[in-house]
Amino acid sequence: MTTPDTTTAPDVPDAIAGERTDRRIIGGELLSVDDISLSFGGVKALSHVNFDIREGEVRAIIGPNGAGKSSMLNVINGFYHPDSGAITYKGQTRKEMRPDQAARQGIARTFQNIALFHGMSTLDNIMTGRNTKMHRNFLWQALHIGPARREELAHREKVEEIIDFLEIQSIRKTPVGRLPYGLQKRVELGRALAAEPELLLLDEPMAGMNSEEKEDMCRFVLDVNEEFGTTIALIEHDMSVVMDISDRVLVLDYGVKIADGTPDTVRSNQQVIDAYLGVSHDENRA
Amino acid sequence: MFYREAGQFKTSYTSDQAIFPIRQDLWFIALVLLAAFVAVPLLMQGADDYMYQAVLIPFLILSLAAIGLNILTGYAGLLSLGTGAFMAVGAYATYKITTSFPGLDIIVVFILAGLVTAGVGIVFGLPSLRIKGFYLAVATLAAQFFILWLFNKVPWFYNYFPSGTITAPPREFMGVLVTGPEASAQSRYLLVLSFVTVLALLAKNLIRGRIGRQWMAIRDMDIAAEIIGIRLLPNKLLAFAISSFYCGVAGALYVFSYLGSAETEAFDILLSFNVLFMIIIGGLGSILGSFLGAAFIILLPVLLTNAPQFLGFAMRADMQKHIEFMVFGALIIIFLIAEPRGLARLWQIAKEKLRRWPFPY
Amino acid sequence: MDFLNAILVTPFVEIADSPVFFAEVAINGLLTGVMYSLVALGFVLIFKASGVFNFAQGIMVLFAALTLVGLMEHGAPVWLALILTVGVMIALAFAIERLMLRHLVNQEQIILFMATIGLAFFLEGFGETLWGSNVKKLDVGIPDMPLEFGGILLSSFDLIAALIGAVLVASLAIFFQKTAIGRALRAVADDHQAALSVGIPLKTIWIIVWSVSGMVALVAGIMWGAKSGVQFSLSLIALKALPVLILGGFTSVPGAIIGGLIIGVGEKIAEVYWGPAVGGAIENWFAYMLALAFLLFRPQGLFGERIIERV
Repeated sequence: MTTPDTTTAPDVPDAIAGERTDRRIIGGELLSVDDISLSFGGVKALSHVNFDIREGEVRAIIGPNGAGKSSMLNVINGFYHPDSGAITYKGQTRKEMRPDQAARQGIARTFQNIALFHGMSTLDNIMTGRNTKMHRNFLWQALHIGPARREELAHREKVEEIIDFLEIQSIRKTPVGRLPYGLQKRVELGRALAAEPELLLLDEPMAGMNSEEKEDMCRFVLDVNEEFGTTIALIEHDMSVVMDISDRVLVLDYGVKIADGTPDTVRSNQQVIDAYLGVSHDENRA
Repeated sequence: MFYREAGQFKTSYTSDQAIFPIRQDLWFIALVLLAAFVAVPLLMQGADDYMYQAVLIPFLILSLAAIGLNILTGYAGLLSLGTGAFMAVGAYATYKITTSFPGLDIIVVFILAGLVTAGVGIVFGLPSLRIKGFYLAVATLAAQFFILWLFNKVPWFYNYFPSGTITAPPREFMGVLVTGPEASAQSRYLLVLSFVTVLALLAKNLIRGRIGRQWMAIRDMDIAAEIIGIRLLPNKLLAFAISSFYCGVAGALYVFSYLGSAETEAFDILLSFNVLFMIIIGGLGSILGSFLGAAFIILLPVLLTNAPQFLGFAMRADMQKHIEFMVFGALIIIFLIAEPRGLARLWQIAKEKLRRWPFPY
Repeated sequence: MDFLNAILVTPFVEIADSPVFFAEVAINGLLTGVMYSLVALGFVLIFKASGVFNFAQGIMVLFAALTLVGLMEHGAPVWLALILTVGVMIALAFAIERLMLRHLVNQEQIILFMATIGLAFFLEGFGETLWGSNVKKLDVGIPDMPLEFGGILLSSFDLIAALIGAVLVASLAIFFQKTAIGRALRAVADDHQAALSVGIPLKTIWIIVWSVSGMVALVAGIMWGAKSGVQFSLSLIALKALPVLILGGFTSVPGAIIGGLIIGVGEKIAEVYWGPAVGGAIENWFAYMLALAFLLFRPQGLFGERIIERV
């Protein structure tokens, strides 16, 4: 166990994040991924990837398309099971995670293609995020009195706080299938937040948004990180966002880690530049 | 202008979560219940039993079965073609329990029969761990055919009577005869009405709470549901169990409060399809829809029987059946295309229009 | 004790005692199986090309047979009646595409499936309104004589039916693999959008597929109808085809064939040897239970594709 690193993260420029003074404390290792490999049929999605995520930080995972970023998140929350390697989360090492296990241990996530429950309203969708915290069995539920009722109301309050935080009060009762894309992504974030996660995995949370929506989303992500101390791992393609809000960046290419460090170091790393520009690796070695 | 929610502010989450948040809705339901429990019996005094026997009682019983199927298929998204068989389980279980323990209160017997059906439902729901969609429907088909065959072939189920039929013995509740050939239509009606009212309320409560949300989450996208921590198998089995309970009680009432006696044919696959049609037409995922759909399916044949006489020509009985099939089939398609959320949705739209009435916008 | 004996011992003794009879039962089962395969084939075609599980396939079998018989009863000679019926089935395909499929394009499978249930009921009522509902005899001139092969008794009708079925299946298989239209059908089955984007006309493909299915239904209807009379129970065959598809895999033509054969044989053998011990009529549920068992261990069937879900 490493001793907590109590240096504060450097102030970041205002470009997108706006005024921001950093009073966060980055803690020790929360999650570590050791030598993970994953393949589908003959395709190697991930090869011997090693990295860690520290408590309280904002960790970006970037790389060209097909680099294995989503697969990495899927391994972390147990949707995919790696062929080899181990995952250490909160001190416990496992060969693989199970999705409901991950959810119960404080990992929540959003998806690239939005995985909301289209038949339900915004409110109900976010309430499902509270699911791991609700316990009254079905007999109490059927009667809807006493313990079941109190539980429902208590969680309703919590969810309303999240709705206020994300400024989506007006669409509370709308079925999510009818919402525009940007709002759906926000609702999905709300559902992930409802679980009060310690580790929040965001898969391209700003994809397909215009710059105004991106600013809002950035603000929410940063607020979550600062106010609740939630550790964040996010996959993102917009480089300015990545450079501005992340503490450390992991770069994947063809399932292999090619760089890992602060935004500045990664930005000037030749291999990273080549990966994005598509220069062949053999040429580079000359 | 009469029907609106302006001015009815919800000052707490409690009132927002009420089943009937708009006050007018609450009055309406109170009125309906009053009419059902009090007005109908009063009005029917002395009249013949046709209304009870042909319309009200089957409507209530099939609504109950429709609620059961809606829980499984409409809310949890698990298609079932075995409703008839589950109703049969309830009926035969009631028969066996009450003939073996004649002293046991009939209400208790009905509930026990429901629990037995729930158990059977869980068994046939086990495959849902590995299969879904219409693959699962095939498992329920297996239930449909196998269970009916079992009740046909194993004489223990019908107490070794050579005719193979089960008959409801006379039973009392609070001193009134409620089952058996001597029981009055009115007492049968009130018994069924009470069961349906209570069970519908319980179902509504389940649906608007955590469990209903979990079922709908599984229905909409089970992978995502699993990832946010909803455990699939227990929830699916719970859906099967509760749905089967409702269908079992409905089946018990079907024989004991409606038909009086029955063979396995009464519960064949046609019944399963009929209940499925009820929830499609009425609205998948809606308790109100279960009632509306049942009303529709009950009333249509009544209409078809009587309409030709009104219009002045005769129609053969089998022709009527064919026309029924055509109309049902066509309506299913039309509803699925135009309003997949069925009559319940149309009802909602009507209510929304009513809010603006009599103003045009 | 008796019961256990009847289940675990007697059947095998009987089989060993009279292998010739066993072969006869098995072969008869195979022949029935060919018929199942025919119906299942209609399903597979439509499912492959449009992703729709057509519950109405069984009714189409009945409808086709009813139309044929109806026309013949009105005096049309066999060849004319056949041509007209084919025309009717094609017209039906057009109508289905226009009135139903087109409007349900983006809906999920379960909605489409339920729509086909509605279609099944509609067609049944419609067919019986048009042609009446008594059992009808269908005679298309196929001889039905007992033939004997090495002590095994078979019906010439069954054999010819099996032959016709086999030819039909073979030609369909070739059609799918070798022709351009077949290729287009497979493209559509894979991805509607992609197929559209390379210029494959979706609607035309659907009409073709439903027409071909209609004709397969017609052949099946003729075979079944001539054997047992044209009546409502023909439509219940649709339900039987479901277990066939589960065994064979929903998207596989060879799977439909093999699945049908397995179900046909299995059913017959179970009924003849195990039926008496439990009062008979095992055929009502045997196929479904078999399918259920399969579902638990190999959900994609013998030849179907594994379903991989991505988030």
